[in-house]
Amino acid sequence: MSAPAPLPAPAPRRRLRVATASLAGCFGCHMSFLDMDERLVGLIDLIVLDRSPLTDIKHPGPCDIALVEGGVCNAENVHVLRELRRAAKVVIALGACAVNGGLPAMRNHRGLEDILRKVYEERPDGGAGIPDDPELPLLTDKVHPLHEVVRVDYFLPGCPPSADAIHKFLTDLAEGRTPRLADALLHFD
Amino acid sequence: MTSLETAPSKTGLRRIAIDPVTRVEGHGKVTILLDAENRVHQVRLHIVEFRGFEAFVEGRPYWEVPVMVQRLCGICPVSHHLAAVKAMDRIAGYGALTPTAEKLRRLMHYGQIAQSHAVHFFHLASPDLLLGFDCEATRRNIVGVVAAAPDIALKGVKLRKFGQEVIRHTAGKRIHGTGAIPGGVNKALTPEERDELRRDLDEHVGWAVEAVALIRRLAGAAPDFYAGFGSAPSHTMSLVAPDGAMDLYDGGLRARDLNGAILFDHVDPAAYHERIVEIVKPWSYMKFPHIAALGAEDGWYKVGPLARLQTVDRMPSPLAEAERQVFLAAGGGRPIAGALMTHWARLIELLHALEVIRDLLDDPEITGTDLMAERGARAGEAVGIIEAPRGTLIHHYRVGDDDLVSWCNLIVSTTHNNQAMNEAIRAVARDHLDGRVVTEPLLNHVEVAIRAYDPCLSCATHALGRMPLIVDLVDADGVTISRAVRNADP
Amino acid sequence: MTEIENVVVIDGLRVPFEPGQTILEAALAAGVWIPHLCHHPDFAPHGSCKVCTVVVNGRNGSACTMRALPGQEVASATPEIQERRRTLLQMLFVEGNHFCPGCEKSGNCTLQALAYDAEMLTPRFDHFYPNRRLDGSHPDVLLDLDRCILCELCVRASRDVDGKSVFAVAGRGGDCRIVVNSPTGRLGDTDLAIEDAAAHVCPVGAILPKRVGFSVPIGARVFDAGPISEVSPHLARTEDGR
Repeated sequence: MSAPAPLPAPAPRRRLRVATASLAGCFGCHMSFLDMDERLVGLIDLIVLDRSPLTDIKHPGPCDIALVEGGVCNAENVHVLRELRRAAKVVIALGACAVNGGLPAMRNHRGLEDILRKVYEERPDGGAGIPDDPELPLLTDKVHPLHEVVRVDYFLPGCPPSADAIHKFLTDLAEGRTPRLADALLHFD
Repeated sequence: MTSLETAPSKTGLRRIAIDPVTRVEGHGKVTILLDAENRVHQVRLHIVEFRGFEAFVEGRPYWEVPVMVQRLCGICPVSHHLAAVKAMDRIAGYGALTPTAEKLRRLMHYGQIAQSHAVHFFHLASPDLLLGFDCEATRRNIVGVVAAAPDIALKGVKLRKFGQEVIRHTAGKRIHGTGAIPGGVNKALTPEERDELRRDLDEHVGWAVEAVALIRRLAGAAPDFYAGFGSAPSHTMSLVAPDGAMDLYDGGLRARDLNGAILFDHVDPAAYHERIVEIVKPWSYMKFPHIAALGAEDGWYKVGPLARLQTVDRMPSPLAEAERQVFLAAGGGRPIAGALMTHWARLIELLHALEVIRDLLDDPEITGTDLMAERGARAGEAVGIIEAPRGTLIHHYRVGDDDLVSWCNLIVSTTHNNQAMNEAIRAVARDHLDGRVVTEPLLNHVEVAIRAYDPCLSCATHALGRMPLIVDLVDADGVTISRAVRNADP
Repeated sequence: MTEIENVVVIDGLRVPFEPGQTILEAALAAGVWIPHLCHHPDFAPHGSCKVCTVVVNGRNGSACTMRALPGQEVASATPEIQERRRTLLQMLFVEGNHFCPGCEKSGNCTLQALAYDAEMLTPRFDHFYPNRRLDGSHPDVLLDLDRCILCELCVRASRDVDGKSVFAVAGRGGDCRIVVNSPTGRLGDTDLAIEDAAAHVCPVGAILPKRVGFSVPIGARVFDAGPISEVSPHLARTEDGR
């Protein structure tokens, strides 16, 4: 596997524009991003946030990096992911779900219909049927990692990746290096 | 005025969507149906993701579940961890925990309350309150707060950090750790770790006091607005300790009615299903629970900080209890239902959590090493209930003789608040949108009401979700008439 | 007459061996790390996973089955070979259902540790998401075939050490799987005992003693101590403890 070329070293003072999204994930990766704690203040000198659940920007503009948490479990996830792929020079699959579907992919063992029946019909109070309003996006039959839907440039595993790992990855990219995780930063759990 | 839940006919109505709702956890959207005079006919908060945890927990060994279910939620994983393990304690045949194990679990839980309340207020909600609902969208976020009020932002960051560090020392890592196991915990707190946490605590308590003073000032400057915005009077529910005091880790269920009278009290968690039933509506993956005896129309209730401060008789920590009295006085002796008052209640709970953490750290048993209980007779079915940051969290499992989960039901905190959130946004739509030209700041008002509930829509979908707002004005034929976009990014 | 020295050269390091030893045995005894997965020093070499593939005098071979011979020039830790190992591991990850975040073996899992060692950041290929069985019928041992990598260590341990042949491999190609030798095919209907070697040999989370779960805290698990190339229990310690 050949790693994609790192971003060209940014000219001094140009901050990287970073979009983030959480698809079929638990928000844990975004929380780990916030786990950078006081380093967040320093990071504001390196990056500027575009579309993100942490901002009120709902759709991305042209970005340097898209950090995407969560796998793909419905048509809307596909839409958001493709939008980010078009907008961003570099897409990073952030965390286990984005990398391999994560625990939500455990539903892939079973038929989607079977699961929906379990959750919405076979309940103590009988259940009232499976939600089916047109406002709800269509579910995909399986949960997919990002790279099965769009081209992904970098993968940052972990459930979630630690704040140290995210910080190392982003600063490597911002400073023009190919991101690399030392053993202590590489975890799948 | 209709209830705004159902438009009699959609013909000729315009649809506005807030999609995604931002600065909340998880993935949801709001749809609003308007007629030609901009009168509001229907408002709904939809939870659009589905992850199906209840289904795939089935068939897994019970000891794996407390770690697995954390992935329902990255903001309050500890809540799921502990609710599940409380059920599995009984399944596996463990009675009372050792004092050290119970205290370590409590420490982990109150660390969770502190960090989750801090992240919600400072990182997600404070931009609305400090910068204004109609501050430009590109600045209305934590970075904007850092620029405008760096001192507040940094203290917020540090308060959250402290809670996360408490979790790390008890669960092995900050997010999705493994500390609690059926029968106890897997790790003692060393005296060095205790000292490290204790060293910084008093300073953090001081910052929490400042945070409560801040929200008290904000609410005091606009008391009618705080009392009325997104107001959704309802019943309330939470766990309470046997003496009626607040206990976020354990206790019996108590509910109060619209006037604050007790509906039920000290209900054994195992009997929750006799009191609470859930219904499904076709337009949301999030279910709608209600108090069984009152029916679906009248039985909906609130959980979480706003409910808890009013269900309990007192908070067992002095600084927080004093602030709770000030808070209750703001309601003039009547139940408080304004959405923004939730922020006030939440920060009082943040202060409470830090006081509890201090008491736990000062308890010599906290560094004990007797971590596992004695094993007794197993059970085939058990319920674990905890007060998560967002409210009452219910995990219910059946486990077979083969140690595998055969059935599971989860009622997460945000789900309890489903109807309340829908009622709150309807109130905002009535008060702020009805008959006006819809603008981006007005739509943010809708989101402000949702945010006040600190909804965790990841959890609520029983599935994996994210909350990503664009507003399309669409005519009845689906043609976009105009678009109010939240990414007015230069 | 000069005696021929029983030494192989691995990545430029002179590694002595006893006649009869495999390259892998010699390397591990000398404290030299060669990644391996289906090999376990207590059992007969198997040579199936190919993770230990090295280049010996220009040709590929499994270090776990190839006898060490004087004069061998062995390449193991080169970027090309590590790249191939990573690909093998990536294929193993997509072939089963390896969800480390919820797995109690995480931190103690050889497959996971090797993936860290190979700097594997992604499974890279499309996932199979196979539909496999979880068998909880045995009172003390759980069988979760989602995580099986077909290393056959359980087969070898049960047959050669326990003398029970509880496990066997059935099927070919993509249908290849571990089966249980009992009329019902259920683990609970075999004479497997919790004390058996087969109950403890699994390098991944497929065969697990029940009710252990997450009793070892994060930080105290085998591979929390360091990379597998330094802390593998198969690796002889040098005198300074490293």
